[in-house]
Amino acid sequence: MDSSPDYSRLIQSDSVHASLYTSQAVYREELEKIFYRGWVYVGHESEIPHPGDFVRRNIGEEPVILLRDRKGELRVLKNRCSHRANLICSDGKGNAKNFMCPYHGWVFSLDGQLLDVPYPQGFSRDKSESGLVALPLVDSYQGFVFASFNAGAGTLDAHLGNAKQVIDRAVAMSPVGRIKLTAGWVKHKFYANWKMLPENDTDGYHVNFVHASFAKVLRSHYDDAALQAEEDLESETIDWGNGHTELNLGPSYKNEMVWLGYTDASRFPGYVAALEQAYGHGRAHETLRAGPPHTVIFPNLFIAEMNIVMFEPRGPNECVQWHTPMLLEGVSDDLNERILRQCEAALGPAGFLLADDGTISERQQIALKSGNAWLDISRGEQREKEGPGDIRVGHVTDETTNRGFWKHYRRLLSR
Amino acid sequence: MQLVSIEEVRRIEALLYQEARLADESRYTEWEGLVDDDMYYWVPAGHADGDPSLAVSVIADNRRRLKSRIAQLNTGARHAQLPASPMRRVLSNIEVNKVETPKEQGTREYAVRANFVLYELRAQSTNTLEVWPGSVEYRVRARPSGDWKIFYKKVQLVHGSEPLATMGFLI
Repeated sequence: MDSSPDYSRLIQSDSVHASLYTSQAVYREELEKIFYRGWVYVGHESEIPHPGDFVRRNIGEEPVILLRDRKGELRVLKNRCSHRANLICSDGKGNAKNFMCPYHGWVFSLDGQLLDVPYPQGFSRDKSESGLVALPLVDSYQGFVFASFNAGAGTLDAHLGNAKQVIDRAVAMSPVGRIKLTAGWVKHKFYANWKMLPENDTDGYHVNFVHASFAKVLRSHYDDAALQAEEDLESETIDWGNGHTELNLGPSYKNEMVWLGYTDASRFPGYVAALEQAYGHGRAHETLRAGPPHTVIFPNLFIAEMNIVMFEPRGPNECVQWHTPMLLEGVSDDLNERILRQCEAALGPAGFLLADDGTISERQQIALKSGNAWLDISRGEQREKEGPGDIRVGHVTDETTNRGFWKHYRRLLSR
Repeated sequence: MQLVSIEEVRRIEALLYQEARLADESRYTEWEGLVDDDMYYWVPAGHADGDPSLAVSVIADNRRRLKSRIAQLNTGARHAQLPASPMRRVLSNIEVNKVETPKEQGTREYAVRANFVLYELRAQSTNTLEVWPGSVEYRVRARPSGDWKIFYKKVQLVHGSEPLATMGFLI
């Protein structure tokens, strides 16, 4: 393999090199240093509520199974038979008592132990050493499950850092503090590098241009949050550290529930009452006004207001964005259905927003195909402010989020 | 199930072929002229073929949202269809059944199934050919006035549960 690219040269504080989006060598290093060495989001506990429940996922390009074992513990296993590397599980989700490899019939328990080998006289190895690979680190925060292939990745607490309070804000949209990801997933393929997803998803500068057609035909919360004159915009870009970045739209909202497309909360009196009961009048109404976060949690989770989004890399020139509505526990079916319909309107291959984002990302990928160019991420450097706890805060149209992403990326890739 | 005459089948086929041609040619407003006020336009996400009030779909447009979708395309600023994708679809295996109890009294109603393959040139970005195969279910309404309208279209993509390329057009 070629020597490692010089990341301190390719990533400047105000610009990044095109090869970071196109090079196979860079892509292989990202898999190793970001997806296999660090913490990665794999799923939500509400997707696997009962013992034996599982979902198939990919961490980087490694197929894994996220499951709840007999004791109710969360586990992540490599989805690969320890014998001849067949996929142990081909269903996207389900409930299992154990996993049997369809190739030669080896049977594994939900914690990955090898239980049975057909025609055992020819098997001379130790069963206890032939189990499925279980990821050494699996932890969850507020139901969001993260895992790492690397036992030395540190604590999830340290990885999340400031992003914990973002997750807290998301689950506090529910009066019982719980969300449920039970509506299934839509997967949207971009012929573009995966880093375009976190970068574009917290870019507040493009909204007026990429989403002009949306803004022309539909009134939405983005009218206040991202479509005003520069001096009137009160939203912010935030670099929370560790590569976690936010488009903080809340400061722009004057009325309650504009983030769900309403002019006030009168349509959902039960929801208002439940939030007041749970959190007290003041906090409940602040939640109703400010709404959910719009935050990327490095490297592959996007809490996209009332949606949960996952990023999946598929080589330097292709990626997939998964999405599902962030349904709330403790609210009416009516409210959850509204969240579901808003999710479909915004996201996915035919979404009023993401279809246009996808197209622009693909055009970027074509434009930087030669790998011989620089991308400017300097906007707003001169007016960025330092916030409490070492965070950086910029104008909503500024590239504070891009700089936050790349600063963390450079630290990881330079190791 | 009531018997459907050759004439009725011909009339419905003509409607579906017209609908397909207008969609292929990105003639959005003319296409909208073929659908009724209670139109439901649904593209489930593959396996998520269940209740659209519980499962997320690729598209689940009621009439109002469909109107917005077409208005967005008509702005001329919908990047995902700028320029519009050159497309051609082939419709086949058409089966027509008459519905005994129409949703709207005093009309005739038909449940129609077909297979389709759509070829799309992604002219806005990659300039590659995308293939969209699937089955489609229509509900068609014939009013005594001779007015024929589609009021339900469900597109079940063969690869709906897999990652799908951007799909800004009318499928």
